[in-house]
Amino acid sequence: MSMPARETNPNFMNGVPELLILRLLQQEEMYGYEIVQAIRSRTGVVVTVGEGVVYPVLHGLEQDGALTSRRKTVNGRSRVYYTVTPAGARRLADLSQTWTNLAAAIQMMLTGGQHGEAIP
Amino acid sequence: MAKPFHELRERLLRHVRRYLTELSDHLADLRTEEERAGRSRADAESAAFVRLGGIDDLAKAMIEQRQFRSWSVRAPWAVFGLTPLLLLAGAWFVALLILWSGWQIFLPGADTPFGAGRVSGFANLYFQAGKAIYFGAPLFVGWGIGLIAVRQRLKALWPMVGLVLIAWMGGTSQVQASRTAVLGGVGHIRMRFAMETSVQGLPDGLMHALVILSLTVLPYLIWRLQKARSLSV
Repeated sequence: MSMPARETNPNFMNGVPELLILRLLQQEEMYGYEIVQAIRSRTGVVVTVGEGVVYPVLHGLEQDGALTSRRKTVNGRSRVYYTVTPAGARRLADLSQTWTNLAAAIQMMLTGGQHGEAIP
Repeated sequence: MAKPFHELRERLLRHVRRYLTELSDHLADLRTEEERAGRSRADAESAAFVRLGGIDDLAKAMIEQRQFRSWSVRAPWAVFGLTPLLLLAGAWFVALLILWSGWQIFLPGADTPFGAGRVSGFANLYFQAGKAIYFGAPLFVGWGIGLIAVRQRLKALWPMVGLVLIAWMGGTSQVQASRTAVLGGVGHIRMRFAMETSVQGLPDGLMHALVILSLTVLPYLIWRLQKARSLSV
């Protein structure tokens, strides 16, 4: 039996759940529980959040037109499955680019490298 | 529930119902997962709740979503700047329409609709209604600003900007009417905003604006104080 993992520092999490959710849903449609488990397993339990917090993010993305949802009954239980829209795919591309630049800049800073290009 | 808010209630409840349904499903999945891992039903239940997140965290995450934020927070300039101005303009339009129509109906030969004692009975009531709307509009709009700001516990900056703006408009507005200004003699009414110097030293417009500001800011401050007290009890 494992204790629940300590939640990731929220100050460093701005926009991260959104990025991870869009990335996961770009590959296949999923419902909330599946998304959270996929984030936990694919980040090696490094990124964990209060699991219920994923739903407001999903609803917000849907409201913005980045996701669509549909009800599907699986094993006798009704689930809300989410999929990325073309607008969501564009948003994912923007977020990925920003995050890649940021990660590279921080890495450079930590290893004592030269100044990189400005983060858009 | 009052009828005007029925739709709002339904719309908010739709979001809340869906959120709660998805949370319930998620909790059931977590409980099953924990039971499969060997926990007793009671332990699985409490572990599932811990993983789902505390009530405060869940509520905060939902409330922080942009679609649940009020317009007062998202666009205070629109709620406390633009909307009061539009409301005031609308009220003044109605007041001037009453003035103009009353002029045409009850004083067809007069060069101006102004001047006390020329009409009585229903005609007088008709003109007084227009006058009440004209002078009452800045006060009602100002009180509306105060009520919204207090109800939503907003910082005073934007409501005060709105109150000053409304007081300024209300204080400096002037109505002029002339039968001969346009051809055909249908009468012409126009509004302008100006400070007229008075013999007492302070411009009349400024005095009027200060009166409106006092009558709207004071209730706002009192409501604010009452709200703060009720929350601290």
